[in-house]
Amino acid sequence: MTQSNRSNAQYLNQLVLQIAQHDERAYLDLFESCASRLKAYAIKCGSNPSDAEDLLQECMLTVWNKAPQFNPKAASAMTWMYTIIRNRRIDLLRKEKPHLIQSFDLWPDGEVEQTHSDQFASSQLDDDVESDLNANLVRILIESLPEEQRQIVYKVYFEGKSHSEIALDLGIPLGTIKSRLRLAMKKLDNLAKEQMTWLIIILLTNF
Amino acid sequence: MANYHPADELLMQFAAGQLTNALGIQTACHLESCKPCQHKARLYEQLGGDLIDISTPVEVDANAKSRLLDNLHRQLKPGTKVDDGSDEVASLYREQLANANQRLPKPLQRFVPDYYDNLPWAGFSKSIQSYDLPFSDDRYTARFYKIAAGKELPQHTHKGNEFTLVLSGSFSDLSGDYHPGDFVLANTSTHHQPKAHNKEDCICFAVTDAPLKMTGFFGRMLNPFLK
Repeated sequence: MTQSNRSNAQYLNQLVLQIAQHDERAYLDLFESCASRLKAYAIKCGSNPSDAEDLLQECMLTVWNKAPQFNPKAASAMTWMYTIIRNRRIDLLRKEKPHLIQSFDLWPDGEVEQTHSDQFASSQLDDDVESDLNANLVRILIESLPEEQRQIVYKVYFEGKSHSEIALDLGIPLGTIKSRLRLAMKKLDNLAKEQMTWLIIILLTNF
Repeated sequence: MANYHPADELLMQFAAGQLTNALGIQTACHLESCKPCQHKARLYEQLGGDLIDISTPVEVDANAKSRLLDNLHRQLKPGTKVDDGSDEVASLYREQLANANQRLPKPLQRFVPDYYDNLPWAGFSKSIQSYDLPFSDDRYTARFYKIAAGKELPQHTHKGNEFTLVLSGSFSDLSGDYHPGDFVLANTSTHHQPKAHNKEDCICFAVTDAPLKMTGFFGRMLNPFLK
């Protein structure tokens, strides 16, 4: 399972790198691999099916435009596409409402790849930590979270619910929501630290 | 380097793209200068990618792929970008940024016409003045506060949450000293009396979901004048 996830992540990275070279074949392959899950994201966030299709189209066109800036050391292709569809969703929601902030207000340097090259370039270690080494680990973690914690994480990401709204939804006290979320995040944080350790071990044994 | 940071919950909501205007911009301003929080936000973006990865696929329209290719081919000319719908806003943004004051945090540049010294500060007292930011939303109010050097605010508590990001200068209260980049949350249980340090005015970016409630005698007298 882990092995296949990793190679799938590498496959997606490779496709985006080829798209950067204007490879339409790779573009279609990426569409085949990801479109149905990108659409699933839009639907979970509350889009109707037709808006979800529009969001998917805009997201894929942005992928074409931004592929030359994709840096697999900064983030896996899936994380990179996540930042793209997240931002396009924000902008679509606000299209008719100029008083609302746009994604570029929140991420003025562009999505993850830009942030990385500008601000993290000095730290080679960071480069490697963020590669798809840990894409698997985060996934394993989500899958291993107890259902009650996972449910809350989903509501934050997809429904944009505040903690008190989640508490109302689930009929659970606010304090419980907060402590469950904190537990989930603590696990994530520990995981990030573990990966750092593993990475150092890998680097030491390789060189 | 900041010593006080947004809670992980907030960073997660930010990475999820789910914060409303005021809190979103404020968090973005903190992130601009805080590497540890940038790292965390990145981890939460990764989590977002993984959530997509493990989603149950939803069937895509039969013509989605040909629609995409049509779009691509119609617009594909050497050296030009494909219009993905983002260009219009992006060019507006660039225009606004070109005229902006570069000393402000980047996420604020488009919204604030000048550097702190030259803003039209408003307020009944020289010790504390405010400047309303144009991106308050239906839940949160966003404004700058300027506490004059060496001045102390009346003791107060909060009806709701108040998120404060120090932009320039520094202040302290019973719980600590706050410097540029520090992100502090005050709520109903916080009784505090912030005091700006002597050297210079302290400029804060405050996001509140309820007005301040003055608790001391002078505070209660002042309260009706505060927004």
